[in-house]
Amino acid sequence: MNFFIQIIVSGLTFGAMYALAALGLALVWGAFNMLNMAHGIIMTLGAYYALLWAEIWGLPLFFAAPFAAICGGGFGVLVYFISAHWMLRQRNFEVTIIIATFGLGMAAEAGLLKFLREEFRTAPYSQPLSLGADSFLVGDVPVSYQRIVVWAVALVLIMLVGLFLTRTNAGRAIRATAQSRDAARLMGIPVKRVYVMVLALASGLAAISGIMLSSFKDVHPLMGGDPLLKAFIVIVLAGLGNITGALYAALLVGMVEATVKVLVADKYGFTAILVLVIAALIWRPAGLFGQRVVARQ
Amino acid sequence: MAEPLLAIHNLHAGYEGQNVLKDVSLDVPEGALITLLGPNGHGKTTLLKCIAGLMKPSGGRIELAGRRIDGAEAERVVDLGVVLIPQGDMLFPEMSVYDNLKMGAYLPRVRKTFSEEVEKIYTILPRLKERTTQLARTLSGGERRMLAIGRGLLSGGRILMIDEPSLGLAPIVIDQIYEIITDLKASGRTILLVEENASRIIDLADRIHLLDTGQIVWAGGGEELQSNQQILETYLGG
Repeated sequence: MNFFIQIIVSGLTFGAMYALAALGLALVWGAFNMLNMAHGIIMTLGAYYALLWAEIWGLPLFFAAPFAAICGGGFGVLVYFISAHWMLRQRNFEVTIIIATFGLGMAAEAGLLKFLREEFRTAPYSQPLSLGADSFLVGDVPVSYQRIVVWAVALVLIMLVGLFLTRTNAGRAIRATAQSRDAARLMGIPVKRVYVMVLALASGLAAISGIMLSSFKDVHPLMGGDPLLKAFIVIVLAGLGNITGALYAALLVGMVEATVKVLVADKYGFTAILVLVIAALIWRPAGLFGQRVVARQ
Repeated sequence: MAEPLLAIHNLHAGYEGQNVLKDVSLDVPEGALITLLGPNGHGKTTLLKCIAGLMKPSGGRIELAGRRIDGAEAERVVDLGVVLIPQGDMLFPEMSVYDNLKMGAYLPRVRKTFSEEVEKIYTILPRLKERTTQLARTLSGGERRMLAIGRGLLSGGRILMIDEPSLGLAPIVIDQIYEIITDLKASGRTILLVEENASRIIDLADRIHLLDTGQIVWAGGGEELQSNQQILETYLGG
């Protein structure tokens, strides 16, 4: 029974984290076939904003989220104007943008490593930020309030994004662009502005998930790499661009990872995810919730 | 003669060095229904895409009321008043009928009056009213075409371009669609219509342009076309 509760608790936490990260990736891919490899560094930066906010300035972490979202969104806009904007007309945009944003991410990581080694020497590298140390027991399993906050934040953000996409003109324009780009242009939707908006939104989400990540993982310049990888796995598993599917897939990946970590061993968690993805893609090449195989003509 | 609403002068266009349109010139006067007729793959859709801004022409000029619009982005062209109802409908498949219509009224100049205008659309296309909450991808072919037309009408504009409204539909549904187009013409809309099937437009069009391998090979009225046996046999299979 305790095993079971333990699996649910950590599965939900992993799932919430992956869902937030994957949501941003899926939105950006859906809008203009851009796989944003700089998504990870934006999560890292989010964690650093929180660190800056809470540890250096001594302000309540709760208020760091809007600040991080705005900074993250700004960084997303920067990513667009440094890379994607100049590459949109390229024939193989889908491939070149991966390399370009990968490069951007690496450069930012390198900068962070150099800069922070000198400035912060000891402080950030292994200092988890706490959202609250208290916990309560479910059965015999302690569940920290911090986890509840993580779940709640993820749930609220996902619902807000859902409302934004379905209830506002800007959100509908994003969906229209994702579903039929040329038709969206024929309606008068400025699709390039939509691209910028989507990248800003996704990056804002990434920064907030970075804060949440910092609540149970060490803050260091390379910390975004792992969640980025997992988010990629999630959106491929779901079927590229399928946003609702990505949320379910995130939960599934989180649960599978937690199950294996609890019942087998920590180190096999990632292996289990990869096996799951391979099996799923052999069974359904377009992804679990995908309707068509994404192939280049 | 007064200046035409839409004028195309010596337009050239193509894909990857292949010329699809060669020296096409065409006038669309205000209030007229002008047709482009011709077999598939001869540049009709390319011409509409160039006008709508989805494609850049390689030469020539496109003017809307004397103002050049060639090379402008599609989102700008529709704001200036040139609306394209594209081939194959290009609906937003995962959106409801209502949301698709709403996207038609995305531009600020039509957004405010959407709730009134959509009621007018429902009287022209009552089928859409029964389907408002249904996802566009679940509609039948005829309903999809009606939705595409309704969405295009909601964009307002000064000239309506319709690309093959009969494509892939059963004859009885084509009749319905052409009834709608006839009503639009009667209400004074300026229309540029692309069609493959001469019999549908011969009585309807003010002027017919025959497009063959990217060139306009003949232009005239419906009666002239009907009496021109040679043209009918050469280009339209009798």
